[in-house]
Amino acid sequence: MTQNLDLTDIQGNIIKAYGAYNYQKARYLFLRIDKGDKGRKFVGAITTKVTSAVPWEKSSKDTDSAVKPQATTNIAFTFAGLKALELPMASLRGFPEDFIMGMAKRKDILGDDGPSDPQNWDNIWKEEVHAWISINGQSIDAVIKRYDWVLEQIKASDGGVTLLTGHRGENGEDDLPYQDASVLYDATGTPTPKEHFGYTDGIGDPVFEGQINVSARVLGRGKLTREGNWEPLATGEFLLGHVDEAMEYPQTAPAPWLLALNGTYMVYRKLHENIGTFNRFLEEQSKHFPGSKEMLAAKFAGRWRDNGAPIVNAPDDESKERWDKQYAEADEAGRKKMLTDFTYNQDITGAKCPYSAHIRRINPRGSLEYGVKDAYDTPGALVNRRRILRRGLPYGEVKDATRDDGNHGIIFMALNVDIQRQFEFIQQQWINYANDFKEGNDKEVLLGNHDANNPGKVVLQVEPGSGKPPHFVSKIPRLVETRGGDYFFIPSITALKLIAAGMVDPT
Amino acid sequence: MATKSGNATALTVLSPIKNGTMGETSYADMTRERCLRLPIHEKSPLSKVPNTYLARLFILDDVFYESLPANDAVFNFSDIWSFFSDSARKKSLPRRDHLKSKYLVFSSNFYGDLDDYLTGLWDKWSYTDHDGNQRDIRYIWEHCVAFDRVTDCAGFIQYIKRCQLDASLFFNGSTDDSLQEQLKALYLKQEFTKFAVAHQGKSAIEIQQAFKAFIARVQPDNLSSPSWFPGQSTP
Repeated sequence: MTQNLDLTDIQGNIIKAYGAYNYQKARYLFLRIDKGDKGRKFVGAITTKVTSAVPWEKSSKDTDSAVKPQATTNIAFTFAGLKALELPMASLRGFPEDFIMGMAKRKDILGDDGPSDPQNWDNIWKEEVHAWISINGQSIDAVIKRYDWVLEQIKASDGGVTLLTGHRGENGEDDLPYQDASVLYDATGTPTPKEHFGYTDGIGDPVFEGQINVSARVLGRGKLTREGNWEPLATGEFLLGHVDEAMEYPQTAPAPWLLALNGTYMVYRKLHENIGTFNRFLEEQSKHFPGSKEMLAAKFAGRWRDNGAPIVNAPDDESKERWDKQYAEADEAGRKKMLTDFTYNQDITGAKCPYSAHIRRINPRGSLEYGVKDAYDTPGALVNRRRILRRGLPYGEVKDATRDDGNHGIIFMALNVDIQRQFEFIQQQWINYANDFKEGNDKEVLLGNHDANNPGKVVLQVEPGSGKPPHFVSKIPRLVETRGGDYFFIPSITALKLIAAGMVDPT
Repeated sequence: MATKSGNATALTVLSPIKNGTMGETSYADMTRERCLRLPIHEKSPLSKVPNTYLARLFILDDVFYESLPANDAVFNFSDIWSFFSDSARKKSLPRRDHLKSKYLVFSSNFYGDLDDYLTGLWDKWSYTDHDGNQRDIRYIWEHCVAFDRVTDCAGFIQYIKRCQLDASLFFNGSTDDSLQEQLKALYLKQEFTKFAVAHQGKSAIEIQQAFKAFIARVQPDNLSSPSWFPGQSTP
């Protein structure tokens, strides 16, 4: 029997990437809970407006659906936050070590060193953060309206909670009370799925059992079967209280069952993008590269910047033209398939899509078998336990594309049931190290924590027997820097009500 | 017997530590502290012992209790325990073994033959401890049973061989060459990568000339220099 999720109980940001539903603006707030009882009352007030995962109605005749709101609201807590809300010790003790420690203390695992070191983060991360509230809006007005409502609730908490300040902003501020984020717009004012380096983002998010309309979206986004088909990943990779890819309930769930069920963990990271450095680096490297600058940029990400074409199916400028033509002629379903439905089976050497490319590192699909037939139970057996749901939006604007010091980057959120096994593993082993890809310690080009004193390189392989030399990309600078973040628990709506009522009972 | 795999030897040594104490500290704890306080990386005494691929020293305090066996083929014996008397039930539990003394464990994977390696261990192992004293290999084994009878290299080799166990697990990160050859190969590989990156796209003549200069600099036939040093931790 297929999994039926209780969508009314699950917070909406877990199931939906709001950006894909025309929510172009977002605001993230961070709070400290000063008094347990008043804090719980505040959580109860916010819970009344928390957005669930119920599908939004397509017509007024839809009965099992909700009206799509102008703004959404979601809430999550750090371990310190749950302690401040006075959860019972027996419940607190059940949380996993990574979550208890929080992101700053995991810096050695995450490679947050040098400019990414917590001492260089936004001021807000220099104090204890307890809660995260996100507002996604179809317009900035809708965001502000909901933000004002949250401020009223904070005021009504009568000293129970404090809105924390200390975000860096657009005009040199370092004490803002919120982090704004927004899709980027093209010259005509049309929203785009781009981030500041110019890449098309958020194409291949995992699809798991119980999501809506799975069969239409699973191609290239679920798990690869031995027969070469795609199936949705197990729910328990992304939601606590459900069976995971190892046919077990996730071990990271706190007690009682109701506190954990339908909840998950979120990694929040503010990632600053060094725009000037990136543009100079790309320009400089493309002088020696046997191909266009755009082709080289595509080698870094595994997708072409303009439309997200996977480079494995459009490996050079010529084949990209053919791909574009086919893409232009395809219908919507055909386009989606072209963007997501691919493997690296015909590219075991990485000659088309380098092993150092972003999308091959974060989701190697079946390619960790290295062409060895039946090396594992299924081609993606090593990958299926390392998937993350990616949420978030770009922030800031690029006012001067030659400089690094503006306010521009990505608010990145990774959702998974086991931070250590999923997000941290990808960051440590696949982004900042490459033993699994037989590339020694070559870091991923875009996100790797490249060391200014000992800059890295990657090798762009060529087809064996082609007579061409492989191409080296060298002196890779730090292109992305961490500016803050933490680990959060996103409870179900039932769990939120239990927390608010002080009724979490692990006995 | 030392176990060989190609030119590599795996050595596992368990030397019993004297029971008893000196003041309020047991000989085992004193030995453990000496192991824990050994300098590491370049300063490790092991970096001076020729041909050590990987080695470790630790104290074995006791054996682990193995608990109840897993499922039997037909049924779990423990499921029907309640039918038996208490004494019968207790008799069916796994035996709990204990060691009569604690052991100093030395395990090493190295290149070449055991006698040569142990000679190197006796002759070359030296370091300055945290109190500024010069220490040789006898300092680590000092409190082991009957080690006071070891007075020379031949005696040390004999002692170690009497404490030796069969070993068959090998360090995987190693080839079959001497340590010096492996370090030189690693050095050459890294330098050659830098060379390839630095001369990418240049003409054949330029590359050939640069390569001659490169070879003159890295001296592939000279194993001792330039190269990585044993235990070296930073470039």
